[in-house]
Amino acid sequence: MAEIALEAAPVLGGTSLELSGNRIVERDDLAIVSIATPLGGEEALAEALRNGWSLDVPEPARSSLSGTVRAIRTSPDQMMLIFPHATPDAEAVVQERLGGTGYTTDQTDSWIALEVAGPDTISAMERICPLDLQSFEIGGTGRTVMEHIGAMAIRTGDDAFLLLSASSSAGSFLHAVETSYRYVT
Amino acid sequence: MIINHPLLGPRDSAEFVVLGDACLIDRPDGMNAAIEEMHDYAYIRDNPAGEHRELWYHEQGDRSWLVVTRSTLTHEVIEVELARNVARARGRSR
Repeated sequence: MAEIALEAAPVLGGTSLELSGNRIVERDDLAIVSIATPLGGEEALAEALRNGWSLDVPEPARSSLSGTVRAIRTSPDQMMLIFPHATPDAEAVVQERLGGTGYTTDQTDSWIALEVAGPDTISAMERICPLDLQSFEIGGTGRTVMEHIGAMAIRTGDDAFLLLSASSSAGSFLHAVETSYRYVT
Repeated sequence: MIINHPLLGPRDSAEFVVLGDACLIDRPDGMNAAIEEMHDYAYIRDNPAGEHRELWYHEQGDRSWLVVTRSTLTHEVIEVELARNVARARGRSR
């Protein structure tokens, strides 16, 4: 029988663009696990997050960061944990530290993450993003629609954002972001 | 139209879908209610010129259900509450 080996490829082929001093980079190394809060289990989950990652439960529209692990508040009873992780067992790894205090779902392959940074980032983003990203504090997050595509934005620096969008429409999303940069540079 | 989300602040109404009259929260107990009561719940709606309470879903945001009180005459949004808080205030468990 033939030997078949499958190798995972980045959704956007490991895109890394440089546009007049701005960067658009696909982060293929990130695992994403959503954590839903059980009814009445807020305290236990907060303690597990503190003990497991030294993370605070993020306030609405905020994220909290501890080392390379980021927790993003996505809805009143849900957050996402994003962290560099190479193997396809992120959910089990997270659940091991949570010890059943949250409901976890592995979302890694459903999303793509784009790191956008550079002096024209705010100008490029405000063309396609209805949120007032300028007013975001560092660590601020929001989920919205950009070019009819659902997306999440996290401000990671003065001129830097992490953008999350569905992997099924990743090509269109990258096109929208790249085009917007080209218009302002 | 801007909807002032109680947790997230002002958001464009394009991020939301509207379900309609907030009276949908008060569903009668289908095992006990008379057929007229279920019929009225499913089909009968007020059509006020003025203040109207509606259920809105923040689909392209944090996916929360809201009860939005707005004026059908001016489109002014008067009050925005989390639907879960409204339901709990009426004695529901979640």
